Amino acid sequence: MTSTEAVPAPGPADTSAPAVEVSGLTFRYPGADHDTLRGVDLRIDRGDFVAVVGGNGSGKTTLCKAFNGLVPHYWSGTFRGRVRVLGRDTREMSVAALSHLVGYVYQDFGNQLVRPTVRDEVAFGPVNFGLPDHRERTDEVMELLGVAHLADRFTWQLSGGQQHLVALASVMALRPGVVVVDEPVAELDPARANRIYEVLKDLNRRLGTTVVVIEHHAEYVARHARSVVLMADGAPVWHLPTRAALDRAEELERHGIPAPQVVRVARGLEPAAPPPLTVAEAADRLRGREVLPADRRADRETDPEPPGEAVAELVGVRHGYRDVDGDLSVVLDGLDLTLRDGERVALVGGNGAGKSTLLRLLTGVKVPREGTVRVGGTDTRTVRPNALADRVCHLYQRPEQMFLKDSVHEDVAMFPGGRGRADTDSLVTAVLDRVGLSGLAGRDGRLLSGGQQRRATLAIGLATSPALLLLDEPTSSLDTASRDAVIAMLDALADTIRCTVVATHDMHLVAEWAGRVLVLDGGRVAADTDPAGLFADTALMESVGLVAPEVTRLGTALGVAPPPLSVPELLTRLGGVPAEEVGERA
Amino acid sequence: MRRERDRLSVEWVKLELLRTAYATRGGLLAGRDPRAVIGWYLILAVVPWFTHNVTVLVGLFVVCAVAVVLSRVGPLILGLFVIGFVLEGLYVLFAAWLFGGDTSTVLALAELTLKLATVSLASMAAFVSLDPEKLSDALLSLHAPAMLSFGVSYGYRMLPVLMEEFHTVVDGHRLRAAPLVSKGFLGWRVAVRTATTLVAAFYPLMLNTAKRTRTTVEALETRGFTYAAEHPDGRRIRLAALRADRWDAVFLGATLVLVAACFAVGRAFPLLGGAA
Repeated sequence: MTSTEAVPAPGPADTSAPAVEVSGLTFRYPGADHDTLRGVDLRIDRGDFVAVVGGNGSGKTTLCKAFNGLVPHYWSGTFRGRVRVLGRDTREMSVAALSHLVGYVYQDFGNQLVRPTVRDEVAFGPVNFGLPDHRERTDEVMELLGVAHLADRFTWQLSGGQQHLVALASVMALRPGVVVVDEPVAELDPARANRIYEVLKDLNRRLGTTVVVIEHHAEYVARHARSVVLMADGAPVWHLPTRAALDRAEELERHGIPAPQVVRVARGLEPAAPPPLTVAEAADRLRGREVLPADRRADRETDPEPPGEAVAELVGVRHGYRDVDGDLSVVLDGLDLTLRDGERVALVGGNGAGKSTLLRLLTGVKVPREGTVRVGGTDTRTVRPNALADRVCHLYQRPEQMFLKDSVHEDVAMFPGGRGRADTDSLVTAVLDRVGLSGLAGRDGRLLSGGQQRRATLAIGLATSPALLLLDEPTSSLDTASRDAVIAMLDALADTIRCTVVATHDMHLVAEWAGRVLVLDGGRVAADTDPAGLFADTALMESVGLVAPEVTRLGTALGVAPPPLSVPELLTRLGGVPAEEVGERA
Repeated sequence: MRRERDRLSVEWVKLELLRTAYATRGGLLAGRDPRAVIGWYLILAVVPWFTHNVTVLVGLFVVCAVAVVLSRVGPLILGLFVIGFVLEGLYVLFAAWLFGGDTSTVLALAELTLKLATVSLASMAAFVSLDPEKLSDALLSLHAPAMLSFGVSYGYRMLPVLMEEFHTVVDGHRLRAAPLVSKGFLGWRVAVRTATTLVAAFYPLMLNTAKRTRTTVEALETRGFTYAAEHPDGRRIRLAALRADRWDAVFLGATLVLVAACFAVGRAFPLLGGAA
């Protein structure tokens, strides 16, 4: 070892010091006109499992980057105050040295993987630091996180969930005492997000690793965290044990963090009692309450309308892709499906079930290997995709891929303008107005926030005036407020679009928006039902790796049938409708 | 009628590039120590320039062609090579005729073409057999700067990502751009559209990639990349994994013997030109 400064001894010098101690920290990014962090005082104890919550722009990520020294060593802004990690001042250590104390998993974890294979990726840190036991560390941590069987795979072959575990393994290989995970739920489906949290809990329990997660899904916070830090305007509002934090549901809501559904149900029925943290706990507490008959069921099942005209049809469709070894992996096999006028379809199923493939077949960018896809009566094989684009619009999962021009306005105008529509200008103005982006029309789409990007892509879609609108994961990696805005917008589209299909893992979106649910599994439609029917079929849910919303699971546990889809619905069935919930859409 | 094709489609080109870059087909050279492969390549890339003896050049060409077959070079790369080779040949004849040259002009140009083809074959055989890790480790062991060897492996890492992004952006243009009214004479409008689309797709591609790399650069810092550049321990560990065995010696020895044999045959039976 040539430098004692750069690599600290494995055990921190001061074993009694807290994991993280921040005092009077103020930070301003170079060139910014206001402080991102203002006078932060915070103490995180060793072995804690902390959730940092707060709205977009509250300084959560900047605070956590101060823990591993990226602030101020890498982002050299104006830094005042002190951050001590495991008893050591971050200003006196390099980022490399701090990485032995603090590990960091990014929200866009895919970009943090830098080496070709999984084993090399995990070994990268230990090898760079020249640690003699690099091989043992690599094997041990891959075993610990359950990625040992992937050791020789290329990182770009992995699924999102596997990539996240590999990113976590690669920072854990340096055996840090603290690990920061930035929004694990944002890019993963619920089953995989749960797996990440289980792994973090296991690290916390077995190794005593202090875990800090940045999270705005309150239900994960309730289930897993031991304490909660609420950030607002660049400083913590408070740092409380989880139950006490969730007891301040109104305050959380004001900061853009709606309380978990079980908490809202429990508060609606027993306002004075402490909030339950899990579905099981809420069910225990509320068991024995009388379940009122379902009088609202009538208006959910309005008179069965005659099936609308077919917008798209798939008959005996088989499709798959060649992989790098030349094998054909079949994704869809013998799929029959008709999409009709007036339908709001949610397409669900695990990763790799073929949701995206189905959407691509409907756009005509791909044609099926066998079978027929007809859109508006036209066989997709007989026309070019840009002819079909008059009828079908596909909005990608990653909005930035939709931005082809320098400004939102140009992107929206590209389709109608290119096709010489006389009313292009008024159409673009109307569409931008509708998604609330008139003020940002001149900006580059890539520079907008996540929620704004989503709305901009919706505007691009609307400007094509499609009969069939296809959306891939429209609510992923959005905070709750932006998510609700997108759902409200989808709601309002019914008048212009004949049929909307959403491929999603977001069961809240399914519960609140969908009229028809298609479950894809094993290459075909495993179930064609409605949200209530889906959530009632627990065997099916489990087999395709879906998790129903908390309120549905709670309702099922309490014997409410059909399962409730929203908080007000369950409250009504249990005999209480509090004022705060009345305004919410059922 | 459109249909899904497994060959000569964009998907196929993407897969072929990945197979080439990541050496998934295996082959004779893929099993060798990467330094031996680089050594082999240097021998065959340099030697052709030291002779004008066509017999020697043909011999070297055959050696490299056999190596290409044994290295299982994919159809895309090989196809591009053959097309290039044939076009070059036609060009040589055309140029000789246009400028009023005689057989000797053709021969001089053909000799150059033969040399270039030999070096191309050697490059194909060598680089189709080196996966990114092997190549970057070999560069590191040959004392290339750490930034270069990392850059090589990171470039490979980004290759599938970039191809995917590019394809998505081009698809976006295909769907949203104005449809062509007619193809034009000999399809010139299609050609112009394709060219402008490729250029226009470049800008979003670069911006999206730049956004991704910010995380990558931070992650590199936290994982000790800069530290490793200043401290030799990491390099030692990385290189310990490289081990040349006697088969590598046999491989290099056999190459030298074959090259020497080419020269010997060339001296004995010079087709054209003089001695080596």
